[in-house]
Amino acid sequence: MKRLNFRYHLEIDFDIPVKEHRFTLKCIPYSNSVQQVESLKYNIVPNYFLCRTKDSFENESIYGSCDKEHNVFSVDVWGNLKTGLSEKIEMRTSYEADIYKYQTEHTKPGEELKKYSEELKKGYKKQFVKEDILKKAIFYMHRLYEDYTYESGITEITTTAEEAFKIGKGVCQDYSHILIALLRMERIPCRYVTGMMLGEGYSHAWIELCDGNFWIAIDPTNDLIVKDCHIRIAVGRDYKDCMINQGVFIGCGREAKQRQDISVTVEEIK
Amino acid sequence: MYTKNLCIYSDSVNELLARYGVKFGIYKDNTFHEQLFPFDMIPRVISAEEFAYIERGLKQRIKALNLFIEDIYHNKRIIHDKIIPEEFVYAGSGYLAQCEGVSPPRGIYTHIAGIDLVQAKDGTWYILEDNLRIPSGASYPMIARDLCRKCSPQTFRDNHLEDNRNYAKLLRKTFDYVNTEGHTVILTPGRYNAAYFEHSYLAEQTGAHLVNGHELTVEDDKLYFVDFSGKKERVGVVYRRISDEYLDPMNFKEESLIGIPHIYDVYRKGNVALINAPGNGVADDKGIYYFVPKMINYYLGEEAVLKNAPTYLPYYQEDLEYVLMHFDDLVIKDVAEAGGYGVFFGNKLENKAKESFKELIKAEPRRFIAQEVIDFRDIDIMEHGEFVPRKADLRAFVLMAEEPMVWKSGLTRFSRNPDSFIVNSSQGGGFKDTWVLSR
Repeated sequence: MKRLNFRYHLEIDFDIPVKEHRFTLKCIPYSNSVQQVESLKYNIVPNYFLCRTKDSFENESIYGSCDKEHNVFSVDVWGNLKTGLSEKIEMRTSYEADIYKYQTEHTKPGEELKKYSEELKKGYKKQFVKEDILKKAIFYMHRLYEDYTYESGITEITTTAEEAFKIGKGVCQDYSHILIALLRMERIPCRYVTGMMLGEGYSHAWIELCDGNFWIAIDPTNDLIVKDCHIRIAVGRDYKDCMINQGVFIGCGREAKQRQDISVTVEEIK
Repeated sequence: MYTKNLCIYSDSVNELLARYGVKFGIYKDNTFHEQLFPFDMIPRVISAEEFAYIERGLKQRIKALNLFIEDIYHNKRIIHDKIIPEEFVYAGSGYLAQCEGVSPPRGIYTHIAGIDLVQAKDGTWYILEDNLRIPSGASYPMIARDLCRKCSPQTFRDNHLEDNRNYAKLLRKTFDYVNTEGHTVILTPGRYNAAYFEHSYLAEQTGAHLVNGHELTVEDDKLYFVDFSGKKERVGVVYRRISDEYLDPMNFKEESLIGIPHIYDVYRKGNVALINAPGNGVADDKGIYYFVPKMINYYLGEEAVLKNAPTYLPYYQEDLEYVLMHFDDLVIKDVAEAGGYGVFFGNKLENKAKESFKELIKAEPRRFIAQEVIDFRDIDIMEHGEFVPRKADLRAFVLMAEEPMVWKSGLTRFSRNPDSFIVNSSQGGGFKDTWVLSR
């Protein structure tokens, strides 16, 4: 168990003023069986109204608008949490995992991933006699960690699992989508998670899989089982369900270009 | 039937329909064509007794479908009790994960349903398709009846039939029952939509405002209509004639320009009714159709009053074998397509195409259903002053307020091509009024 302090900062700079900006933010960690939020504050500027809601994946969301012209939009969230309260995340309902067995547009495998899946299946059979969902997922994670290279700037947020796998290099989003695709090919329910990790940097992504009774979180980018260094923010079928920031706006005069800056700091409170 | 007096007005009624804008817009090869929706003066006539039977069957069906949708987005009992395999639900195109756990006002998902039926030569009625998303077509027999009455009032004095001009009243009742306080609006994507005539006509008939996406806005957790002076007024019901995917760029397709950002969040909080409820397409998937009689039994403990056309699911090994063996006798439908597209008659395919189609079915069994070709009863239409028989179906409309209500009329569509079974208006068919006799 750890106590963590976090600070999340997002800034979007538009090259020309924009108006009629509508946004949905899934940027708030919430309490469950593995983490407990002790304090939480946020500041979103500019805004005309802000509203809290929960989406269908039970993620805390904030939506709002800003109709007036603005060049900068920023989101700050900060607070303290206890993490690593348990190794397993309790299911809310017995059927909660059902929808996570099926591929989405982003995880749908193509030829390359199908081939890779066959290879992994054989590898697993050689090493283990019994079918065990968790063992299998960890085995696949180790293999992916060996076979895939971390490199940022190669893939984009819209890159699918198949495309990312073909390229052979990518970031946490790609690791997660690929592992999800592999597990769903065998109808193992698993979901995408966004959050933050101890240290400084960017937001992070990993996956959770369901063994029938609980959700277990594993982090394919770092090849580890999640314990108390991760802060969980949102879950969904793929990155699209849990985008930290999503918005529509109208550029004044022409289409606006935007530059996004995200910085995340997570420190242990001792 | 005394319809002779009526038939002589065919040209004038069709001319008036064209002037009122009863047209169908079709996108083909990236261009927009508007074509007239030809009206045939000879009505389809259904006896009071027969219609009472249809009505009973339709009410039962809609009740079950509504319970099914609620179940799917909440407890999923029907899946866990193994009545329907889960992949038919979750991998179907109509299922939307965004609807999980969301309850629409008063628990209604299928406010307006258009159920397609055909009558076989032996008189048996079969359900062909449930259209639950945005079924259109009620306005055509409404306006046609109105014009016919004006041309030949005598006809409607001589024949005792149910007045179908109450559709607007039923619709209003449906709106008011779920209203969360506020105005009622009909949301249209605009005049280039295939059913724009219907949007404007129904707005006029029900007294609802006809609006486009730019006139609606979300503030806090409410939806507002913004008038020309910038004044905002609360909206309680949106009869939206745009599909789920384009409804809200923040919750569905982000590239949608016709949608209203955050309207779905307001709906999720129970502060506006969306008609029909998003995600209800999970129940009108052609694959799910097969299971509707089982649903009726499961939720209501009753046998289905109206039969499905005999249907096979290649998903089941036994059915797959049957389909491959009796390929020539069957009509194969791609479950993801609508509007008469993706329908193949086994015996009309050439040998080579047939074989590759069979392979496709084996490879993607979940994607297809196969049905016996029902030899449906021809009804007469008038062509160049003569009566000729044509294939026709019936789209019946079921509206849901406190209880399901069946409109005592319907849209009868016919194929203008004597060899065709496909009657969809998007495929160039025509329509008739549907008379339900009152005694």
